[in-house]
Amino acid sequence: MATEHVHVEEHNHPGPRQYVIIGAILAVITLIEFGVFYLSIDPALMTWIILVLSSSKFLLVVGYFMHLKFDDVRFSGLFFAPFLIMVSIAVVLMALFFNLTR
Amino acid sequence: MAANIGILKRPVSTEGVWGWITTVDHKRIGILYGVSAFIFFLIGGIEALLMRVQLAQPESTFVDAGTFNALFTMHGTTMVFMVVMPAGAAFFNFLVPLMIGARDVAFPRLNALSYWLFIFGAILMNFSFFKAAFPDVGWFGYAPLTTSEYTLSSSTDYWVLGLQIMGIGTTAAGFNFVITILNMRAPGMTLMRMPLFPWMTLIVSFLIIFAFPPLTIALTLLLFDRFFGTNFFDTAGAGADPLLWQHLFWIFGHPEVYILILPAMGIVSDVLPTFSRKPLFGYTTVVFAGAVIAFLGFGVWAHHMFTTGLGAWATAAFAGATMAIGVPTGVKVFNWLATLWGGSIQFKTPLLFALGFISMFMLGGLSGVMHAAVPVDTQQQDTYFIVAHFHYVLFGGSIFGLTAGIYYWFPKMTGRMLSERIGKWHFWLMFIGFNATFMPMHILGVLGMPRRVYTYSIDQNWAGLNLFVSIGAFIIAISIALLIVNIVRSVRKGEVAGMNPWAGATLEWAIPSPPPHYNFAMIPTVRSQHPLWDEEANAVEPPPLPEHGEPHMPDPSYWPIVVAFGITMVAGGLLIWQATTWVGLFVIAVSGFIGIRGIYGWVFEPVAEESAERVHAHH
Amino acid sequence: MQYLSGIDDHRTSTGLDNRKMLMWAFLGSDVMFFGTLIGTHLIYRNRNLSGPQEEILSIPITTISTFVLLMSSLAMVLALAGIQRGNMGQFRFWTAIVCIFGSIFIGFQMFEFTEFAAHYGLTPRTNLFGSTFLVMTGFHGTHVAVGILWLWSILFASYKGKIHQGNSLQVEIAGLYWHFVDIVWIVIFGVVYLIGAYGAEGRALEDAHHAARAVGIG
Repeated sequence: MATEHVHVEEHNHPGPRQYVIIGAILAVITLIEFGVFYLSIDPALMTWIILVLSSSKFLLVVGYFMHLKFDDVRFSGLFFAPFLIMVSIAVVLMALFFNLTR
Repeated sequence: MAANIGILKRPVSTEGVWGWITTVDHKRIGILYGVSAFIFFLIGGIEALLMRVQLAQPESTFVDAGTFNALFTMHGTTMVFMVVMPAGAAFFNFLVPLMIGARDVAFPRLNALSYWLFIFGAILMNFSFFKAAFPDVGWFGYAPLTTSEYTLSSSTDYWVLGLQIMGIGTTAAGFNFVITILNMRAPGMTLMRMPLFPWMTLIVSFLIIFAFPPLTIALTLLLFDRFFGTNFFDTAGAGADPLLWQHLFWIFGHPEVYILILPAMGIVSDVLPTFSRKPLFGYTTVVFAGAVIAFLGFGVWAHHMFTTGLGAWATAAFAGATMAIGVPTGVKVFNWLATLWGGSIQFKTPLLFALGFISMFMLGGLSGVMHAAVPVDTQQQDTYFIVAHFHYVLFGGSIFGLTAGIYYWFPKMTGRMLSERIGKWHFWLMFIGFNATFMPMHILGVLGMPRRVYTYSIDQNWAGLNLFVSIGAFIIAISIALLIVNIVRSVRKGEVAGMNPWAGATLEWAIPSPPPHYNFAMIPTVRSQHPLWDEEANAVEPPPLPEHGEPHMPDPSYWPIVVAFGITMVAGGLLIWQATTWVGLFVIAVSGFIGIRGIYGWVFEPVAEESAERVHAHH
Repeated sequence: MQYLSGIDDHRTSTGLDNRKMLMWAFLGSDVMFFGTLIGTHLIYRNRNLSGPQEEILSIPITTISTFVLLMSSLAMVLALAGIQRGNMGQFRFWTAIVCIFGSIFIGFQMFEFTEFAAHYGLTPRTNLFGSTFLVMTGFHGTHVAVGILWLWSILFASYKGKIHQGNSLQVEIAGLYWHFVDIVWIVIFGVVYLIGAYGAEGRALEDAHHAARAVGIG
């Protein structure tokens, strides 16, 4: 295992301080989601709120904890290409199964 | 073997049977894949012949209905998963590292694991013959018909588990070739200088790693239904949807079609330039057409399900997407024709098969576009017209393309030429036999003969054409016998090939035939798409080995076969568990331990010699 | 074409490490696995002929377990930051925290599964919801368990000197896997729990019941 290269610290790479801040933001968003669940609002609106909140959590973890924001763009391609394919397939499946296409 | 596991040292010898069992050399793994695929090709072919004997006459009693079900099931499953895919893998393995100027794949031991999982899975599925009966649920295994409510026979369990294990191996191979092609190219070998075959391998590998998961999940759900009583496909008892399996299966199944055909397209795209002595016409468009086909392939699955009543909008959308795939495919066909146009064509056997591929695949493609028109599809669903269509694509396409590859690269693999004379006989017999077999099936389909029927009555007027078809099938069999004769003869006393018998342009022809185990004594630097054509002075002699001797290659390893054995026997334990619970649990526990111990052994396996680390530490 | 001696075999064509790229490709593939499972769960919503469905999901308890898993991800990046700086103490401490938090998450899941079976009679055999929900979350739980095993192994190997600053990439790759398991849970928590259970009948009562039991007063 002689090939391991020592990680080179880049300029705008986040450090432990930023990680803790991101962690705090994640916790807060989760708390907001928890609160939203107990509001009596239109289910469609609620669905969109949760989708936005969950997506932002998703992107924070992928972007900062998994370093995609700072890493090579090809890693993003390897991950998001199947992600988009899968989301499209799932949306089409739901449309088909909930009879939205008749 | 299990007893030795604790003390397994890393093997060093590459000799004898153990040398093959522990090999991590991509060329040897390629040959293992190729030989296995060919054996299964014969088995699948015999299954087809038995069906044709049965159907040659009306109301024949050669086999009964149940046996016939097993025959078409195993014929389909074998040809798709144990012949065309591993035959493609044989070429990926042997050729891709050579063509991109690498010494091996990115993960040599993972590569060996892929092969062992494939062969163990295939054996497990065929083992059902000795235990119960052959699976008889169709290669698509439609649930809910495959749930235990309707199919009691444990042969379906063998089918599910065998397919699952082969799928794990295939997916692992997919990862391996994605990384190999992206990361292991020789200096100067940019993506847009790669030959078409590695390009199509890259696209197929992406299709594999993204399309196999839905199949794996579908099989897992079916497995849970059959073994643990879940309700995923329990329509009567739990209100499950009878279309769920069809959706999941075809979300995998349509990309799978491209997994089967794109390697053949890659082979043909490399054979045509060599034998017309000019570069591939529109290289960039051929590459992108392949990528577009693959991408669209994820959006057309429901065209296998038009008759299930998806609703007008969905049907129209899927029909449109399906027709759209005809465009990039047509682009490729025109590019191939334009490559031939004005070239100095040499009608050698590989070119004949490549031409056979283009013409036959085009017929299959055209009848495919016919099915994209929903009313036509509704008429032809489940008739012999469909059988004709996909055999024109998968036999006229994949098998002709792969055979072109066999004739083209056999000299590189063995160092000897195949006989041109027998080769031409082989081609014309196969071409005639193929059309005699499958062309009349179009007519039979239009006449209304349904797929998968085991017999028909005399007054349906299908007898004459069916007899014709059956004779055609035996002509194909004779042509395959000629191929065997040709290979056996040529391996022993074929004409010595030399480095570059076809005067090809790509890197694999720059090294001796068969290649030394380290492939390239020195890694070449590439400056164009056709390194051996553009700079002939450098193409004559490969450089001698550097003074410090042979490049160090990864050492052989026991762990891939141990891990594959562990995984397979967990599946075996599940099968035993159904009959005798505690024995099954015991087998699962022991083989699970073997598998996990194997993974740890693998991870911490030392290299046999310290210095080997220096050259090839990527695995 | 030219043959050069002294070409560095370690350099990959893209300059990216093989193993890290393998992990990303695997995660891309794993997206398809989880996507298929979650998709199957969603298209089978509200089709049950009998038995409980989303109303039995406990949002308070799952919010806590979600929080634990998110924090394990935080611990994971801190562990990685530690080993990349050569601070083995920081690395070992936070890796142990990851494993412990992961185990707590598994504990929550086992509690949830046994609760469902004991109080609502929900097993994978009960109805469609039981099948899709339990297999999907069970598949995720298996991923978490594999991650824990992997990180324990790395921690153990670090004491044997096999994991050190020079090959912190091993930790980075395991970390990618761990964070992926976390984001899958973010999706499941949002889509399956919050959106799925929103407005389900008898919701508030069940929640109060659960919350009370969770803190030991039920």
